[in-house]
Amino acid sequence: MNLSTSSSERALFARIVLVILLGMGAALGLVRLFHTGTGITADAFLGRVLQAKAALPRITAEPQELVMFFGSSRVEAGFSPRQFDREMAARGLPVKSFNFGFGGLNPLFQDTLSRRIREQFERDERRLKIALIEFNPFQATVTRRNRAREAEETMQAILGTPQEFFPVLIRDPERGVRLFNIRYLRGGISAEAFTSFVAAGLAPPRPRTGIPEDEAAKARRRELNRILDQRFQEDYPDYRAKQWHYGWQGGGTIAEERSAETLALFDEFYATLRTEHKLDDDRLHRINTADIIELNFDPELVEAFIRIVKNFQAISDRVEVLMLPKNSRWIQNTPEATERLAAAVARIEEETGLRLRNDRELPAITPEMFVDTTHLARYTGGVAYTRHLVEELAPPEMEAAID
Amino acid sequence: MIFNTPLFFAFFIVFLLFYGFVFLQRRPRVYLILVASLVFYGAWNYAFIPLLVGSAVVDYFLAQGIAAAPAGRRRKILLGISIAVNLGILAVFKYADFAIGSVADLLRLLGYEPSLSSLELILPVGISFYTFQSMSYTIDVYRGDMQPRRGLVEFTAALAFFPQLVAGPILRARQILPQFHRLPLPTWTNAKYGFLLITVGLMKKTVADLLAGPVATAFDSSGPVSLMESWTGVLAFAGQIYGDFSGYSDMAIGLALLLGFQIPLNFRLPYFALSPVDFWRRWHISLSSWLRDYLYIPLGGNRGGNRYRNIFITMLLGGLWHGAAWTFVAWGAFHGALIGATHKLSELRLFAPFVQSRSLWMRLFKWAFTFYLILIGWVLFRAASLEGAWQMLVTLHSIGAALPSPSQGAALVFGLVAAALLAMHLMDYGVLEYGERLAQKPWGFWPALVTVQALCLMIGEPSSEFIYFQF
Repeated sequence: MNLSTSSSERALFARIVLVILLGMGAALGLVRLFHTGTGITADAFLGRVLQAKAALPRITAEPQELVMFFGSSRVEAGFSPRQFDREMAARGLPVKSFNFGFGGLNPLFQDTLSRRIREQFERDERRLKIALIEFNPFQATVTRRNRAREAEETMQAILGTPQEFFPVLIRDPERGVRLFNIRYLRGGISAEAFTSFVAAGLAPPRPRTGIPEDEAAKARRRELNRILDQRFQEDYPDYRAKQWHYGWQGGGTIAEERSAETLALFDEFYATLRTEHKLDDDRLHRINTADIIELNFDPELVEAFIRIVKNFQAISDRVEVLMLPKNSRWIQNTPEATERLAAAVARIEEETGLRLRNDRELPAITPEMFVDTTHLARYTGGVAYTRHLVEELAPPEMEAAID
Repeated sequence: MIFNTPLFFAFFIVFLLFYGFVFLQRRPRVYLILVASLVFYGAWNYAFIPLLVGSAVVDYFLAQGIAAAPAGRRRKILLGISIAVNLGILAVFKYADFAIGSVADLLRLLGYEPSLSSLELILPVGISFYTFQSMSYTIDVYRGDMQPRRGLVEFTAALAFFPQLVAGPILRARQILPQFHRLPLPTWTNAKYGFLLITVGLMKKTVADLLAGPVATAFDSSGPVSLMESWTGVLAFAGQIYGDFSGYSDMAIGLALLLGFQIPLNFRLPYFALSPVDFWRRWHISLSSWLRDYLYIPLGGNRGGNRYRNIFITMLLGGLWHGAAWTFVAWGAFHGALIGATHKLSELRLFAPFVQSRSLWMRLFKWAFTFYLILIGWVLFRAASLEGAWQMLVTLHSIGAALPSPSQGAALVFGLVAAALLAMHLMDYGVLEYGERLAQKPWGFWPALVTVQALCLMIGEPSSEFIYFQF
């Protein structure tokens, strides 16, 4: 039996196809509208990273020798490119350095970002004189990865390229199409990322410290925060602190630019952040979100870190892998964690042929130089650590690299 | 390939373009459905396409043989081969490791140290659905309920029909084969109803995925869980399994309607049931009616004084159909016992006023008690082991025991879970009662569909498969 091939039949199928396409288009339009309206956009997830990525062509066009410090928010807080450049210049070694430290990433996402950096440098036929790469142990744990699983595809979709998506499409069509969809139709925001963002309030509460809050310190911290915000706006009227600012090379403000009075206020502010209550609570937060004490590594994250190093080795004259100072008063690893860390470090060294610099217990950095259990304070710890890097790297190794 | 993914969306659009504009004759369209169905199935694992096609080929020729054979022994042998092949496929791929593990456990209990190694075969997706569907064809032909159809491609296409291939509804050959023979065209009214069902199914699947979190808190936690979070988890699982499975069924029925095919409803507000018997008339209707027609009745049904035994065996095997684990067997046995007890009690004069009462309070009580029993059943279904199920059942009834206090926000989550479960049922009630009328009001209908779609896209792009794929 043959079907009639009347025009009405075709019209019906055309109508069905049209309804599906228009319906889905309209639904996607509404989604995009809602994302934009609520501010849940790719920029909200990766604003600084995207700004830094967008700055790459300008970085490779810089006439000076280039240095890049790549890592986590600990690098963002603990390395000042402009201070580094000034102190290097004072030693007769002019360089232009950049802070590529970003919070909220893990080595999987950083690997994708490092590929973009490598591509840009190769395209522009530039090389880094020195690449400093942070190995942040608690960023490579199973716990840390599990905390960000729902964001994995969003991160990959935003930072990846179609050339990277096509092999995925062949290997796993479901995932490949999803990556294209997130990137090009959903504006970078997967449904999982959106849901986890809006449902964050429903997540089971994490363990909290039993140490009572010092109410006076809390009140003073709020007051100082307000004053320092005001000072910042007066000193830097055109700058929003959350941006990756080219003028500051991705780093923050430097002590030399602030008045003595402001710096004194900062000292007081840091002290209010370092109460027993705040630090113990932060320690528990890091245990909960990153397994910072036990350090059960995710092999895929360690693998991804090795790829990051190799990406930088391809475009750098010299690569240094470092572990940044830790606040040992609050973060003490178990012997098993220390063993696991040693094994991970050995693997990185074996795969990359590099010797890792372990600055975790640096005598020059004291617990008073941290703002919490992991981040250096910009005007104390950051200054000291940047200086330490200059002293460690400039003579004689840096000179050799620059010459 | 999962319905609510961009990949399936692209697949279906391409399929529709070919179906509606390129292949305009019946035979090419059947070929197209077959090829598309195999691509759809192959997107999960191409290695198992031969198993699917082989199952169809065997049953197609056996049905021809049964029809051609004279009444008697030869027909029985051919039917026996069909049943043996289908159950054999299931036994090897689904139950072999379970049987090996159970034998090993038993031998260990008896003091032996067996060296039995499991086969560790991948479970082909949808195997329980298409083997039952295929088997029903040879049984129907054997019984004389239908004549065998000519056309192997048509039969294979009907068995592999992608909207219902991997998670049902389980269609009888007599429901679907005649449709493939005349290959109906969709009507705009049916298409609109199809869009409505797809959207509702998508919404339910989205809700089901969101409910996975509280379920995991209750069932997968390494430590003890509070009473409230345990109940929240069980309630959430009731919602998750319903949203996931009925959502898939709705989408399957809706997609089929867009092509002109009619697939019967698989769920009818099951959590509004007033007794366990009523529940099974509303839950996974295609399976419960299959079990009734092809297992319960052949066992003797209500006749011969073996009614309760037959009910129990049917439900026990129905439980085992869901998965190769003792938890599923226990779930089946539990429901078998419930249905048997319901029948027994309804026959007792003492309970007659209760059974026959139509008062609101009595109906409310019957509903609450039935729902409680269903929830208890879901504990058996979801737990990783019988021991885990027992622990959960103890926790659920440990009022005043030394359990951890609920997390902050647990009451809110409980409320949201209960609301989600109710919303899914109200949505279904709306579709059943007002769906067709709503579809006649384009200015309300299309914006509503687009809004729901947008909501699903916003919060529910899946990475999780449908739960029933594993069955």
